[in-house]
Amino acid sequence: MSAAVETDVKRDELTSLERVGLALQYKKPDRVPAAPLVCGASSRVLGISYDRWSQDPKAATASLLAAQGLIGFDGFLTLVDLSVEAEDFGQEVIFPERSTAYPNFDDPFIKTADDYGKVVSVDPRKSRRMSSVIEIVRGLAEAKGKDVAVMGFVYGPLGVLSQIRGHAELFKDLIRHPDRVLEAVEIINRVLIDYAIAQVEAGAHAIVLDPLYSSASILKKETWVKFEAVFISAVADAVRGAGVPVVVHNCGGGVYFDAVMEHINPIAISHAYPAHGSANWEEHAANWAKKVVTIGVADPAKVGHEFSQAEVLEDCRREIETFKIAEGGFILSSGCEFPPNGNLLSARTMVQASKLYGRY
Amino acid sequence: MSRAKEELYERLANAVLELDEDLTKELSHEVIDQGFDAWEAIEQGLLIGINQAGKLFDEEEYFVPELLIAADAMYAGLDILRPYVKDHSTGNPRRVVIGVVQGDTHDIGKNLVRIMLEVSGFEVFDLGRDVPARRFVDRAVEVKADIIALSTLMTTTMDQMAEVIRILEAENIRKNFKVIVGGSPLSQQFSDRIGADGYAPKAALAVQLAKRLSGLVNAA
Repeated sequence: MSAAVETDVKRDELTSLERVGLALQYKKPDRVPAAPLVCGASSRVLGISYDRWSQDPKAATASLLAAQGLIGFDGFLTLVDLSVEAEDFGQEVIFPERSTAYPNFDDPFIKTADDYGKVVSVDPRKSRRMSSVIEIVRGLAEAKGKDVAVMGFVYGPLGVLSQIRGHAELFKDLIRHPDRVLEAVEIINRVLIDYAIAQVEAGAHAIVLDPLYSSASILKKETWVKFEAVFISAVADAVRGAGVPVVVHNCGGGVYFDAVMEHINPIAISHAYPAHGSANWEEHAANWAKKVVTIGVADPAKVGHEFSQAEVLEDCRREIETFKIAEGGFILSSGCEFPPNGNLLSARTMVQASKLYGRY
Repeated sequence: MSRAKEELYERLANAVLELDEDLTKELSHEVIDQGFDAWEAIEQGLLIGINQAGKLFDEEEYFVPELLIAADAMYAGLDILRPYVKDHSTGNPRRVVIGVVQGDTHDIGKNLVRIMLEVSGFEVFDLGRDVPARRFVDRAVEVKADIIALSTLMTTTMDQMAEVIRILEAENIRKNFKVIVGGSPLSQQFSDRIGADGYAPKAALAVQLAKRLSGLVNAA
């Protein structure tokens, strides 16, 4: 079917980088950019084990480049896993052979509230995993940076802390030991500023910040503002100061778009669900599509695991239709990482959908 | 019920609702010291409090941190009162084996479901997070569970749910258990594809699903 689709679509007139750049400025490019968040899934293109992909920047870079060649997506995202920063702060991480790495919460780095004092600054350019991501950014930028958007990735400070304390314990500490949490968040945030800048220096065209807990499915808005927003805004300012735009990614339910805009002011938000206060995608598009560029919003599990290729095409067509209201400010993507074990053909079909239905 | 007893239970409920673990413990001891019925205090104090907290959670007054701390308070009170519960028969409580599947450590959703199931009268065996498929099956057989409840937040670990069902089928014990699944990336479509008995998009709905599948309420 994809071969038939290829013959039906017009030839692209712009490079991926130009296409994404225009969309981020609310200028209509030749077509809707398509950037399904193919990260860990790229390991399968070259047949590399997930644990190697997660820890060997050369292998990850080669995989991502091969995946872009195969799928034709318009942007790279250097999301390796949400434990990258955590390991460098001292958390033991488990690397499964065929799945995403995760912290060993049987042995959290922060075991009690007193342990928050163990969080000390690290140099992201020298620490094992953050330096690896910086190298991936550099490799992608050198190989394809003139043509394809390279987006660096930084997990928010509260998210990083949850990966070294345990999610539930951290959430309880927000109420029981707020000062200890705030001290650690501040230290982590300073490191994240360096980390973001290092990715910019390595060639990232934009930095994606992930404030996962800015979401009504987890925290009250005021709680997120107190424990993360007032810190991560400094990361955003530093990125903009270094000359590249800030994008936010949050795959949580009911993202507080108003607070995210106020404190981070991203050029675009990548998300999986309608904003807090919007009942459905139509309402969301009416409320937000003209205020901030939308990146999304395909359900990654459905696209990667459930849908036939015809259903992927139809799903993408609907999304492109819904976000026509954005007047160019829309990038078709999965609302979260494309499933690392999902059907890669579906990622390719998403790109085909943008060529079929997303011409301006 | 005496006025003093009624007031004490109300204070117990409020202590849970107001996230005050120390006060919950203190009042639970007071229940024992006064010679009041421990089960009555659980039902009309602790469970009322956690139910009210759950209601505030649904209304977006409370969020995950508040609900977790309310649950801690409730469990602290339960630890004190439980040894004094006498001759209380809950009939035939349905048993649920619950956990987060192997490769995933996100357990907030699972914990919320566990709390709500316990409050609703289920006997819950929580296997924690990062649980191998084999362990779900072994534990369900061991405790003669009615339901196996599987949770995951990651697309990479969704297939572990199918693995649990594969083991049940391979061992010809699939019909002995209802299998329910939940977690952010899941859908009814996924649940149907792997042959689960039910899918719940939210914690509160998981309880309704468990009740329906275990025959505690009629299918609607």
